[in-house]
Amino acid sequence: MARTRSKRRAQLEALLLAPVDWLEERSGLVGAVRYFLFRKVPRESNWFHTLGSATLTAFLVQAVTGVILAMYYKPDPDSAYRSIQHITNDLTLGWLVRGMHRWGASVFIILLFLHMGRVFLFGAYKYPRELNWLIGVLLLTMAMGEGFTGYLLPWDQTAYWATVVGINLNASAPIAGPFIADILRGGTEIGPETLARFYSIHMLLIPGGLAGLIVLHLYLVIRLGITAPPWSESAAGYDEPPRVEPERRGLVEPRPRGNGDGAVVAPRRRTRV
Amino acid sequence: MPTKAEQREQFARYKEDVARRGKSFYPYAMFHDTVMSLVVVSVIVGLACLWYFTSGEEAGNSGWLGPRYTEEADPGTTSFVPRPDWYFYFLFYLLRIFKWPDSVVLGTVGIPTILLILLFAMPFLDRRRDRRLIRRPVAVVAALLTIASMGILTYKGATAKESLASENIALVPEWVKQEKLEGKAVDGARLFAEVGCMNCHTYLGAGASNLGAPDLTSEGTKGRGIEFQKQHIKCPQCVNPSSQMQPFPNLTDEQLTALATFLEASKGPKS
Repeated sequence: MARTRSKRRAQLEALLLAPVDWLEERSGLVGAVRYFLFRKVPRESNWFHTLGSATLTAFLVQAVTGVILAMYYKPDPDSAYRSIQHITNDLTLGWLVRGMHRWGASVFIILLFLHMGRVFLFGAYKYPRELNWLIGVLLLTMAMGEGFTGYLLPWDQTAYWATVVGINLNASAPIAGPFIADILRGGTEIGPETLARFYSIHMLLIPGGLAGLIVLHLYLVIRLGITAPPWSESAAGYDEPPRVEPERRGLVEPRPRGNGDGAVVAPRRRTRV
Repeated sequence: MPTKAEQREQFARYKEDVARRGKSFYPYAMFHDTVMSLVVVSVIVGLACLWYFTSGEEAGNSGWLGPRYTEEADPGTTSFVPRPDWYFYFLFYLLRIFKWPDSVVLGTVGIPTILLILLFAMPFLDRRRDRRLIRRPVAVVAALLTIASMGILTYKGATAKESLASENIALVPEWVKQEKLEGKAVDGARLFAEVGCMNCHTYLGAGASNLGAPDLTSEGTKGRGIEFQKQHIKCPQCVNPSSQMQPFPNLTDEQLTALATFLEASKGPKS
């Protein structure tokens, strides 16, 4: 009886796993996910190490709410302000989506800074993770670019005048400054072109770049491993390898065991570091 | 500075150590990550609720976290004080420290660029192996100084006095008293408060210095004369080619005269 059940179960499992096997055979993705999930992280990794994934979560919130907002927002000066009012006051849960996008932006920036602070304090930017630090700084500046371009979109007084000043700041840069300011404005004054431009940069250019760099960032995190905290007992972080306590031995050394032919197999030696 | 071989050896030791003593990402680390992500989403939803339910539908009806929106953008107004999102406050405050036009480039471009270059270069500047804070005094002090100065600049930027036209007009009687203004100069003072001069200039401690324009409290002591002032307001670049001030071509001659009279009468507070 037990045998038939296990046979049926085996059939069921084969059926359920068929798509997974199919995918694995053709892409190796299943193995990659398995590697991702079951890779080892330092024993001492702790709550500080969650700041990175928390930042990722904030980014995902921005992406999802941003996509929804884009369905209702109208990027031209005549209707932008009204569409924002419509989203906030009339649409079902529109206020929640816009509120989450608005405040999620601040949370995203705060988490980026906290995450950067953690990486700095743990010295996690050191060899071999220099490249990932560079990508991280790039992500931070791009996120601030998102903040700058997104601020104009509600097309209210705050948005408009903050952008006027923001662009003037760009214009004050030597040589390239006025040129950059003209590109940002799409002309000599802030108007329909500016709004369309900021909208496109805000929802296509920078988010695309952010997503790509985040994937690269995570790839490097997985490839190089998570840095153990500096106070960890792990070797990493210390100039000299830490002293390892001698392993406690049992009362008796395990006796060599015969394997039938009379040959003696040596006890497995415990690796000592 | 460690040699390449030492760096590699240390990293190999790290890998070995993690493989031997580490814990599996799933479920241990992933549990922490999941809890933290839920906290993040809850905080965002909480902020959105707080923002929405304490504010009203009308423009500028501010709740605990600010209004849903201010009035619709109007390029015609000159009296609106620009305000960026909070993470640009430090930049805005830098502009109050560096004055137009000589050193403003330092504040807008110079310091941010230097900070960015330092950030990018950090792993190449600090190549020592040690990661314990006690062995990295320079890094720790630098970090604390950066955090402190960014914090102070952000706080200062957040609490910097905004000047709104309505607030400025309320100040006019005080100016009349302190600067002993009379006649046309009083009309000029009112205009000065209304037309947006104080978006860039300060007067007796009021107004915004976001753009670092000069303080005009004692403009009259420079002896430039009413004609010069009128021309300068109408078209600053015609009088001073390097001026960064915006022209005010729409002001009538009468308004210009009033403003110029006001400026020439401003000889600093008289006690």
